Amino acid sequence: MGGVMAISRRVFVKSGGLALFSLGLDPLFLARAAFLPYRPLPSPTAPDQPVFVCLFMRGAVDGLNVIVPHGDPFYYRERPRIAVPAADVVDLDGHFGLHPALAALKPLWDNKSLAAVHAVGSPDSTRSHFDAQDYMETGTPGAKATPDGWLNRYCQHDAEHANTPFRAVAFGPELPRILAGSAPSLAIDDLQAFGLRVPQPGARDKLTRAFEALYQGAETGLLAASGRESFEAVQRLQQANPLQYQPDHGAEYPRGRIGHALLQIAQLIKSDVGLRVAFLDATGWDTHVNQGSSEGQLAARLQELGGSLAAFATDLGERMRSVVVLTMSEFGRTVRENGNSGTDHGHATAMLALGGPVRGGRVLGKWPTLDPAARFEGRDLAVTTDFRDLFGEILARHLGATDLHPVFPGYAVRPEQYPGVIRT
Amino acid sequence: MRFLAALFICTALAAPAARAQRPLTPHDSALHALNRLAYGPRPGDVDRVAALGVMSWIDAQLHPDRIPDPEVERRESAFPILDEDPASLARAIATVRQQRIAARRDGSDSGMPPAWRQRVPVDSQAARRVRQTMGQLQQLAVMRAVRSQRQLQEVMVDFWTNHFNVFFGKGADRAFTPSYIERTIRPHALGRFQDLLLATAKSPAMLFYLDNWQSVAPGAEPPALARMARIDDARREQMLARMPQGLNENYARELMELHTLGVDGGYTQQDVIAVARILTGWSIERPQQDGGCRFNDWAHDDGEKTVRGVRFPAGHGMDEGVRLLKLLAQDPATMHHVSRQLCARFVSDVPPDGCVDAAVGAWSRSDGDIAAVLRAIFQSPEFWSDQAVRAKVKTPLEFMVSAVRATGGDPDTTPRLAQVIGRLGEPLYAQPSPAGYPESQEDWVNSGALLLRMNMAVALAAGRLPGVTIGFDSLVPATGDANALIETVDVRLLGGILTTHSDDVLRREVGDVRDPVAARALVVGLALGGPEFQRQ
Repeated sequence: MGGVMAISRRVFVKSGGLALFSLGLDPLFLARAAFLPYRPLPSPTAPDQPVFVCLFMRGAVDGLNVIVPHGDPFYYRERPRIAVPAADVVDLDGHFGLHPALAALKPLWDNKSLAAVHAVGSPDSTRSHFDAQDYMETGTPGAKATPDGWLNRYCQHDAEHANTPFRAVAFGPELPRILAGSAPSLAIDDLQAFGLRVPQPGARDKLTRAFEALYQGAETGLLAASGRESFEAVQRLQQANPLQYQPDHGAEYPRGRIGHALLQIAQLIKSDVGLRVAFLDATGWDTHVNQGSSEGQLAARLQELGGSLAAFATDLGERMRSVVVLTMSEFGRTVRENGNSGTDHGHATAMLALGGPVRGGRVLGKWPTLDPAARFEGRDLAVTTDFRDLFGEILARHLGATDLHPVFPGYAVRPEQYPGVIRT
Repeated sequence: MRFLAALFICTALAAPAARAQRPLTPHDSALHALNRLAYGPRPGDVDRVAALGVMSWIDAQLHPDRIPDPEVERRESAFPILDEDPASLARAIATVRQQRIAARRDGSDSGMPPAWRQRVPVDSQAARRVRQTMGQLQQLAVMRAVRSQRQLQEVMVDFWTNHFNVFFGKGADRAFTPSYIERTIRPHALGRFQDLLLATAKSPAMLFYLDNWQSVAPGAEPPALARMARIDDARREQMLARMPQGLNENYARELMELHTLGVDGGYTQQDVIAVARILTGWSIERPQQDGGCRFNDWAHDDGEKTVRGVRFPAGHGMDEGVRLLKLLAQDPATMHHVSRQLCARFVSDVPPDGCVDAAVGAWSRSDGDIAAVLRAIFQSPEFWSDQAVRAKVKTPLEFMVSAVRATGGDPDTTPRLAQVIGRLGEPLYAQPSPAGYPESQEDWVNSGALLLRMNMAVALAAGRLPGVTIGFDSLVPATGDANALIETVDVRLLGGILTTHSDDVLRREVGDVRDPVAARALVVGLALGGPEFQRQ
């Protein structure tokens, strides 16, 4: 994986100093930077355990303007106002190219740690955001009553890695459906706020000690075990010291929710607290009206996405060799632009995979073409890769999952159907 | 006391000889009943219920219409959502959508930097009204749970809201959910199961949520479209493309799997298809006009159907569905499935057969009278057994509401307390899965969730939880005497649940706190956030 290492030096080390982040620094918290752990912790988990980061682009991103099929004659024919002009596309392989707002990712493509999977999606034909997101998160397209998410089911059956409180973390106020289920998962809005919150630092430590004692001695069973986990998590995080965090290698995360969440994920990865799967979501892709082309609504969102992902890769540097980031979205958008210079709900979309283990530098998946005869229901990009094959490949080849049957019930994930996104 | 005596006899008879059941004291049985039939005791409740006799109190709770509830009625006037009708709400939602599209269009022409364009704030009366709907609806439920004298009624409304779950965030259900809760669920919460099932089946909220409104017999098309065939073929094709095509099995499947028979209730995929065919045509009026249930003859599958061996002859229109729902409501598999869920809520996560059998027996004797089924559960020895008492972990809603009740607290009419419950993992009406929120502890207890509960408990005890006024000042006088303080908190607020271990920890921690008010807040916060109070 020398590639990622090299890139962090060659491309991303910038001359500017470290970026200073507006983290809402709390003077009281700073005053206790010299926090001493009140009990010894077991040694941290071994570094270089694989990490999988899922980024859900809610709202159905227009995959055709993310990974642009500029070599497909129907692309420009169907999108007179919103197509990305060939001159602006960041060409990848002569047929596909990146939207110019994603130019920050090009070095990762050249470095072979960025791949795209095109025409990926759900076998279910729904064009409802609600249903399609639900299916993508439960991993059971067409079956509504599935109680848990596929990432949680992976954790339930993951015997390969230690079960730490930080094994599965979603960044946001609520646990998303993809992580709902019986395996413990955390929803963290802000690492700084994780733990017991009282205004005075002295009171916080006292309260932490008191609650820990209450849960330790009172009983056995799930409550006691979870109580113990809570305090281990709090302490590990205190040692990682969220307020002192500075991104490495001069990485500059763009302002916005995506960058803020990725920064915190990078921090957790470097803290060796046992993070295995991380989840974040990004909204604003439902571009029915005035989508724009090289610039505009979609471009602004892609700019934030691309800049944040590039900063994440820079920040992690060599640690990227054990990290895979995957973007996903519930479906794609119509091939033809609509009357409002936007696009309506479609079918297949494009997903990006990024990281050392990724077989990068190529657009994977069978391209169905934009020929009307090849389209789904005569209008949308057809699905040639079932999303479960892509997710399954990452679970199996990156995280080392040995049995995917319980993760995707009712579906046979077979290696010969993998899009080939992970190096073997 | 007569009831309690009878109770002791029946528990003694039912308990296996090897394991003698220690009879519950009147105090303990009152606390147990308040923990399960209510959202925990408010200060003084345990003594009141014990003095009245726990079975008399339970009996009264089974007839909520006879319990006066002036406090709640007064507070309800602060919730305009109760006066909204779905059609006007739907119109407001449509207005906001138009305003947003218009604003986005303006934004992109105005040369604003692109980043500003994605989020177009629409500030209008309609937008405010729509924004407030969800919060008001959630807070109304929380206010009632905290304040209502008809506690069992509120617990059952929550139970059925989960059993017949709809998702507020799915399209037109933003307009339909308020009336679904008020007019479909609430009136039947302690009534007949069959009436409740029929009401949900006909509710626009359910018809929309599980897509039955767009389930049509394959090839069927509305008369208006058929007429157009003679006029404008291209336009007709266009409209046809936007029309729902064919069967949608979602509701048919969940109706049997979740609402009635249960997943092992004995039905096949062929039955799901037959049920979907029977229910074709059950649709909704346009939300902005009426939003009621409507039966579309043209969409109904006119053929003969067979469901689990029962023949439904052709040509009976909507009556076929009504007959089917009545059959499902009284099927033994339904009685067992729903009784088991009731016992999981009231007795324990994995309910013993005894109480389930008692509930099923009462169901078949009473033709599905929910109050009779509940009475049988509350009279079963399993409900009062050692294994059941304090065996269940509170859900986030139960935890937060019981904590506010324990502190004599009073929520205001802002959605803030409801948002806290959402933050703890159970935002009301926001569960996308038709299975509703889960009941078992594994789904609620984990490290992140516990830390949040501790934080909320500490904030509540210190009077820092937004949207709530606490009321224990006079009950627990601030005192420098740590032992007296801990005992008063335990007895007056918590019903005496603290273990000696917790008692020791509290005494150690409060010992060096000099300010008596801070000491009191610390003890209450630790007790509410501690392990004992997570159970019921």
